[in-house]
Amino acid sequence: MKTLKITLAVTVFFLVSGLANQMTAQQLTGREIIDKVYNLPTGEDQTSDLTMTLINKSGSKRVRKIKQFTKDMGDVEKSIMFFTAPADVKNTSFMSWTYDSDKSDDQWIYLPALKKVKRISSDSKSDYFMGSDFTYDDLGDRKLDDDTHKLLREETIDGVDYYVVESIPKDEDYMYSKTTTWIRKDNFIGLKKEFYDEDGELLKILKIKKFEEISGFIVITSSEMENVQKNHRTTMILNNVEINTGIPASKFSERMMMRGI
Amino acid sequence: MEKLLYKLLNYSWVSMIVILVITALFFLQMKENTRMETNLDKYMPHDHPAFIYSDQAEEWFNIKDGIIIALENQKGVFNSETLDTLKQLTKRFQKFDEIDKADVTSLYTADNIIGTVDGMDVKRFYKRVPKSPEKLQQLKENVENNEMIFGRLVSTDETVTVIIAEIGDDVFTQEFYNEILEVAKASETDDIKIHVAGRPIVEGTMALLGPEDMKRMVPIVLLVIFLVLFLTLRSFKGTLITLGVVFFSTIWAFGLMAVVNIPIYAVSTMIPVMLIAIGVADGIHLYSHLHTFIDHNPTAGKKEAIKDMIKHMWKPVVMTSITTAVGFISLLTSQVYPVKYFGIFTAFGVMMAMVFSLIFLPAGIMIFGLPKARKINKDEDKGGHSHSKLANNFASIVVKNKYVSLVGTAVIIVLSVIGMQKIWINSSFLDKFEEDSDIVQTDKFINEHFGGTSTLNLILDADGKKDVFKEPEVLKLVDKMQKDVNNQLQVVGNTFSLADYVNRMNKVMNADDEAYNTIPDSKDMIAQYLLLYEMSGDPENLNKVVDYDYEKLNVMFQLKSDNSKAINSALDVIHTYEDDFNQLGITLNYAGSGYKGLVFTDLILEGQIMSLILSLIIIVVLLSVMFRSIGIGLIGSVPIIVTALISFGIMGYLGIPLNTTTALLSSIAIGIGIDYAVHFLEQYRHNASQTDDKLVAAQKTMAHSGKAIIYNAIVVIAGFLVLLFSVFPPNRELGALVSLNMFTSFVGTLTIMLVLLYMSNIYFKKKKQTNKS
Repeated sequence: MKTLKITLAVTVFFLVSGLANQMTAQQLTGREIIDKVYNLPTGEDQTSDLTMTLINKSGSKRVRKIKQFTKDMGDVEKSIMFFTAPADVKNTSFMSWTYDSDKSDDQWIYLPALKKVKRISSDSKSDYFMGSDFTYDDLGDRKLDDDTHKLLREETIDGVDYYVVESIPKDEDYMYSKTTTWIRKDNFIGLKKEFYDEDGELLKILKIKKFEEISGFIVITSSEMENVQKNHRTTMILNNVEINTGIPASKFSERMMMRGI
Repeated sequence: MEKLLYKLLNYSWVSMIVILVITALFFLQMKENTRMETNLDKYMPHDHPAFIYSDQAEEWFNIKDGIIIALENQKGVFNSETLDTLKQLTKRFQKFDEIDKADVTSLYTADNIIGTVDGMDVKRFYKRVPKSPEKLQQLKENVENNEMIFGRLVSTDETVTVIIAEIGDDVFTQEFYNEILEVAKASETDDIKIHVAGRPIVEGTMALLGPEDMKRMVPIVLLVIFLVLFLTLRSFKGTLITLGVVFFSTIWAFGLMAVVNIPIYAVSTMIPVMLIAIGVADGIHLYSHLHTFIDHNPTAGKKEAIKDMIKHMWKPVVMTSITTAVGFISLLTSQVYPVKYFGIFTAFGVMMAMVFSLIFLPAGIMIFGLPKARKINKDEDKGGHSHSKLANNFASIVVKNKYVSLVGTAVIIVLSVIGMQKIWINSSFLDKFEEDSDIVQTDKFINEHFGGTSTLNLILDADGKKDVFKEPEVLKLVDKMQKDVNNQLQVVGNTFSLADYVNRMNKVMNADDEAYNTIPDSKDMIAQYLLLYEMSGDPENLNKVVDYDYEKLNVMFQLKSDNSKAINSALDVIHTYEDDFNQLGITLNYAGSGYKGLVFTDLILEGQIMSLILSLIIIVVLLSVMFRSIGIGLIGSVPIIVTALISFGIMGYLGIPLNTTTALLSSIAIGIGIDYAVHFLEQYRHNASQTDDKLVAAQKTMAHSGKAIIYNAIVVIAGFLVLLFSVFPPNRELGALVSLNMFTSFVGTLTIMLVLLYMSNIYFKKKKQTNKS
């Protein structure tokens, strides 16, 4: 179980660089491009409604609705999420504190039926997020120098220019053998990403379906991850996104987890 | 008919060449287009309701059969060497093209979810192989404390750990198996032994071994039959021609199969078996008549001799062939396609054997000449009306001591019926292998250390009602049933379902307190635990036990045996819960290869019994029509009925279970029994028309038909006894039972049928009436 930072995912990994030096003529390296994608300014905090739909190979769906709050507090990033649907898990909540240092994340879970907050520890960043096809890493937990990045080529698709960057993990035991990302030259959004498994076979494809400008930040509001080997898909749609509303630091506490939204 | 056959004698070269050319064409077709069907799934009637449901459930829950790779280390498995081997082998198996990576499970891939004082902890058991004694000790403790792993992936004595690689129905090949064995062997060390087992291995090996063994044995069977046939016919030419009839009819049958593009199934290997047993009969009877004729008319020319043979014998040959073919055609009532095909093509082969016997055999004699007349006959005392003292005496003894036959038959029937009660049906594949074979031994080894190598899947279906399997009372009932089955039955080593996950999560979230290893009382609690598991464990695991909407549940029972008794015992206990589940709106269904095997065997038997009864009725009718007497129809069916009864009775006493092969054997009882009866009856009718003395008629028939029947029985029995030396137990059973059926058919025909014939006075009633008047 890893920190639940869907917000971070949206803002850090895919986000646009408003002030990126995309006008510079000088050729960027793969690492520089990914650095721009990873390290983009985000708001201080964010609130949103997440609808996550899991679709299995026979077309059955599991729909989960989550209200989430995130706040960047300097060296720690805190987030809290409350399930609003389905009814039997309503008010189940998760909180995670992610540190910039090497310190591992702190995580808590609150099950209303149990009426207790429990700490959770996990040793794997390859865990899938809430049973979806996204891992925590896919959602933005990946650090720039965990991989070696290489600019493969530049491509123009439907009139849009992309950098195509290949990233190969330095840890040989990592769940992916490589990823390939198509990054828009104009705004540094990673619009499409392919994930290859340990055997070098295509495992998953991420597609960004929609991004919007909200309070001066560009936020990806609709994305889909498809596991082509399992024929399983997850869509994530963000609604009611609010940025920099000034969420108090006290929001991220065990007491608030128990109180619900 | 006779005229046509006579005419053909003038063109013997033409008939010979036409037959040879067609045979060659069929042979080419056979060589080019024949394919073996080793995928047992292809045998199943997929439109049967049980199969439709099972196939669907297999899709829903990704139910597949698993290959089990067991690593054994007598010094214990918790050391770096064994754990490293386990890791490397797991990764190697994930790389096989035939295996989906996600379908490989071992301690290396498993997650350990444990409760801590203030929460829960999710970790892989190990990723880098632990080296220090402390880390190894920690791993050992983690395994011992996780009952979803301990006893499932690591044996409780800690000397064995397994990798389970699930594969699809259609990927097993000999090459794949060899590659697995090679990979396994390469990882063995002084301390680590590796065993490979599991249903795909058993099924695959069986599908390959049976026909392969047949391929090896059939030439030997043919050789023995050739030798014995030569001894009885005392003619090299005659032997060759008779075997040619068998050989050609087999090629035509298989050639036709190739032409219409039907693959060879395991049961198809029975086709040559049937054709050998039946085809030889026509030849022997024809030659027997020919010999008799030549003996009596040493000066006759070959055309004259052949014409006499055709004149007297074409009718019984046609009659026996038609009745036999009809017996096989009745297999069309079976729901199992391979059995249907078996019926059709055997019937075709039988009819072709008839054509060859009436055209090819005479043509052969025309071309290669008559067999020599026997010198001994000249010195033999012909005893007045017949030329065999032995036959005369035997016939007299049988007729005089008719009550011995009657009482004996009655006793045998009673004993057989008693024995039949003990017959049991077995769909097991493993039971078809030698007790001391590698495959059985490995299976035994794994069953000793783990829950079991066979799986029964119970599918609980709430019929579209969502979230039923989050209800506490439902899961509690499931949990109770699992424990009940597990406790009541030795053969059930393990059970597994969603209830186990819920139990485990409840325990984990309550600081690993064993008192909480139960299903909680609140539905929301269950839902929240499951959500938590989905987020922390591998969600794929849940997909194997419950569907997306929580309206279908897959409960797995691990059995230490794949035989039908084991599966049925589990089904019996499960059925005691049916009412409780029904009241909750839940129906019970089953899935998986073990269950399908059980249903499949039942279907075969059901079809077999149906066709047995049907063919008996048809045969009685046919005989009655042919001989224009219902009495004859009934008498003629007696040897068949006795043969079938004895066959089943002995199987009951010896504990030979009914399975796909042994069940089909009742067809041979009919096929052969009817041949003997028809030849004997036809001869008796002929002889009765020439004499007023019943005994003389009986003696003449015995000397002529009786002798041919004995020869026929000896030839085929000798041939099939060879199968007793087969390495594949089902083929041994086949050999023994075919021999037994031949024996009882011939004894039955020559004793009880003769007695009944004699007592019935058929063919003599009219004469008596005319004498009186």
